Amino acid sequence: MTSSEKSTEKPLQIKFGFFRWIHHNLFGSFFDGVVTICVLLFLVWFIPIAVSWLFIDAVGFSGNEALCRSADGACWPFMQEKARLILFGTYPYNQQWRAALASFIVIGLVGTLMSNRLKVKPMLILWVGGAALFVLLMLGGTIGLQMVQTVSWNGLPVFLLLAVFSLAAAFPLGILLALGRFQNDHFLIRSVTIAYIELIRGVPLLTVLFMGLFVFPLILPQGFVIEPLIAVLVALMIFHAAYFAEDIRGGLQTLSSGQFDAADSLGFSYWQKVRLIILPQAFKSSLPAIFNTLIGAYKDTSLVVIVGIHDMLSTAKMAYSDPGWQRYGLEAYFFVGVWYLWPQHSMTAKASWFQTSLA
Amino acid sequence: MWYGQANYSLTCLVHCPNIQGRCSLNTLAAVGIRPGFGFLGGEAGFDVNESLIAYSASDSYARVLLVGFLNTVELSIVCIVGSTIIGTVMGIIRSGNNWIGIRLAMAYVEVCRNLPKLLILLAIFIVMVNGLPVVRQAWDLFGCVYISNRAFYFPKLIWDDRMQFVLAGIAIWFLSAIFWQRHAKRYQERTGQRLPQVLPICGAFIAVVLGISAIFNVPYQLSIPVQIGFDFEGGSWLSVQFVALAITLSIYHGGQITELVRGGIQSVSQGQIEASAALGLKPLLTTRLVVLPLALRMIIPPIGNQYLNLVKNTSIALAIGYSDLVSVMSTSINQTFRPIELMSITMMTYLAISLVVTSLLNWFNAHVKIVEN
Repeated sequence: MTSSEKSTEKPLQIKFGFFRWIHHNLFGSFFDGVVTICVLLFLVWFIPIAVSWLFIDAVGFSGNEALCRSADGACWPFMQEKARLILFGTYPYNQQWRAALASFIVIGLVGTLMSNRLKVKPMLILWVGGAALFVLLMLGGTIGLQMVQTVSWNGLPVFLLLAVFSLAAAFPLGILLALGRFQNDHFLIRSVTIAYIELIRGVPLLTVLFMGLFVFPLILPQGFVIEPLIAVLVALMIFHAAYFAEDIRGGLQTLSSGQFDAADSLGFSYWQKVRLIILPQAFKSSLPAIFNTLIGAYKDTSLVVIVGIHDMLSTAKMAYSDPGWQRYGLEAYFFVGVWYLWPQHSMTAKASWFQTSLA
Repeated sequence: MWYGQANYSLTCLVHCPNIQGRCSLNTLAAVGIRPGFGFLGGEAGFDVNESLIAYSASDSYARVLLVGFLNTVELSIVCIVGSTIIGTVMGIIRSGNNWIGIRLAMAYVEVCRNLPKLLILLAIFIVMVNGLPVVRQAWDLFGCVYISNRAFYFPKLIWDDRMQFVLAGIAIWFLSAIFWQRHAKRYQERTGQRLPQVLPICGAFIAVVLGISAIFNVPYQLSIPVQIGFDFEGGSWLSVQFVALAITLSIYHGGQITELVRGGIQSVSQGQIEASAALGLKPLLTTRLVVLPLALRMIIPPIGNQYLNLVKNTSIALAIGYSDLVSVMSTSINQTFRPIELMSITMMTYLAISLVVTSLLNWFNAHVKIVEN
């Protein structure tokens, strides 16, 4: 029983019989027994409900609305009918290939991050080019594309625009804020960054979004009009930057002061020092926190529906607001949920890959 | 019928601001709106779906903001308690030996980590609104609790002024219980003998409550909800919005707390557990007396962050039309067009809540810290 002793030999493997295994793993103690029974009761109650809703009582893709009305389970024809509405909303129907292409561009941009050769300059060019292409495709008005106002940008492209570009813009801002807070030379910069970070981290995202919609237009000089979509994008950026700043500051604090002194003694300028010595090391230790923020921020983008931006939760609502299909809200949210799950999953996988490869 | 009338309240989900960025401070001044907090005394003119204090549409904006604030606080407290219980239980199961329990806890954490809270909220809300019966056919539990897709009705204790004495008695009991525990601890440190604690404290509670009730002849009467027409009368009720929010946030943050609890428990060194097993403590006692107190010290700071996030996340109440602070603020902005004043009141309130929670947690953290010599 000396698990703390380091030994190169493999621990003794005990082979259990089936009943021994059940006894050991399910009823090891009184508490375990209670847990097992509760879990089994829950599964016995839940699995039949889920299976019958998803499959047995459900109407398959070949069915129609009339069949759904008499069924108790899920209505999959609803998905078939409404998938495009949920994905692209009220974007002109014959132009939706543009929205699809624009979404693929953004997904491709995120994909470039997954490739492990991060060079800053080509990446920057790629991202700016990608963003320009996105706007060109979605907005149109030139090169023979029909003009589509931002009011009818809905669903997936809007969600990707807000989630990906706000985070991409928030990250550099977060670095600057973290650097501003992590220095003692400029008192003013330090106090402003501290006030900014603590204020933003102390209030809900929704209030920041409201601020974007209501207060930005008031601050702008007369004659300027800010699109709600842009206002929300900026608000998201302002919000996430504060969280990134704290993550990066955590990484900065782990550096020993010798690193700074060494860089100074080599005659580096401040930005050289930051770029070549400080940030690479700080990133390494703050990566887990950054990924946590990324995952949370990606999910929180869905809150924009509350202030009237039509991302996928909102187009899902449009889909089941159709008089013929009103009872299928759960199916609509199920569809959106799947869309949230897979990028999240790849992000979590990437996070653990980073952790193992950098450790 | 499984699907009743659908989503009557989801209409407020897409909550379009009625200005689309066409105003500036100059235009505001031109139409005669000057910055200031004077409007707070004006009549609000809109109703809220539930309130902890007396409120009617003719009350002032200041009052309706207070109502929203109290609703936010109520929701936060309920969710903090709920998520802590769920998170602790699931975290213990997750780091235990139960094969099936570990699998279930892992699946639960994955779902909470990967789905947005708004999606969970809307799905739960729509299932409740569609799946629960209408008020007239409300489910009847034990003849006193009624569940419908508008609200949950349950009995309420009728307040009597003589109950003040009982409350005062309970307060005195609470203080003396703390005193007795301290005394017992000191006595044990001095002599090594344990004084009884659970029995005298529980006994004293029962004696205090029964004794004072008998002396002052306190009437305990329940007001039980009774169905009259399209509604219930008597008793107390919680709107389905509140219940959906409480369930969503408890489950969502419970998932986050599960991972924190697991991390804390795994940080307790194996030697401590083996030592307590060697002393003859049973597994449940080991968990309660050795693992949890040690893990608690690791967990408190990150859990404090979770509580702060939870308080801020109650603002998603706006999506299903529960009158929390942000939702009341948003209605007030639409009516008065005072975004700057109302936004700053709301933000300052949240900052104040954050400050209070942080300092409470810091105090608690300092209180339970192991004193190292």
